[in-house]
Amino acid sequence: MMPQLLTVRVTRPHGRSVRIWVPVIPIVLLLAPLLILAAAAAAVACLMCRVRVGLAFGNGWRLFCALPGTRIDIREGPTTVLVSIR
Amino acid sequence: MNQQRKYVLEMLAEGQVTPEEAERLITALERDQPSVAADSEVGPKGKARYLHVVVDSTEDDKPSRVNVRVPLQLLRAGVRLAALIPPQALAHANAELNRSGIPFDLTQLKPDQLQALTEQLEELTVEVDEPDTTVRIFCE
Repeated sequence: MMPQLLTVRVTRPHGRSVRIWVPVIPIVLLLAPLLILAAAAAAVACLMCRVRVGLAFGNGWRLFCALPGTRIDIREGPTTVLVSIR
Repeated sequence: MNQQRKYVLEMLAEGQVTPEEAERLITALERDQPSVAADSEVGPKGKARYLHVVVDSTEDDKPSRVNVRVPLQLLRAGVRLAALIPPQALAHANAELNRSGIPFDLTQLKPDQLQALTEQLEELTVEVDEPDTTVRIFCE
């Protein structure tokens, strides 16, 4: 299943915190024209490097779909940064 | 094909057993199969799903912690994608590795081997203890 939500939380000293939720599907739809261009460029790059385009896209898609569950948590003193993909 | 069955067929090919004996052996193996399947059903329940990398360190009396959790599925997908790296890129990478004093030939790494490696990661636990830093890599 493709990622649904990216959450970024930054907590600074004195308890101030910023939390950002990024819904992946609307963002992908919004950036669709750019993504189509990027896909075309990637296909050309694959052909130039003699890499099978279908296989490359399939594996890239699998990589993208495997992202949910990824979590990166960094704490340094009172500052924390959390990135989570669901 | 399972390893035992392959072994029986090899014995048959080498003439160590007759076809009748081979058939009896294979039938006996098939009879044992349900218990093996039952055992393997127990496995996935406790199967690791994530690779964790936890680094705790203290610099200038300031504690810091980095905790990264990556789904093992992501590693497997990455391995499949890495298998598509063109040979000329691998040659460049090999040259750079050699220059850095790491004589490692990436072209010898086959996708099957990488796949097997990620499968075995589930058993992996690495702990590095230094006075100011602790690193733990494990799967759960």
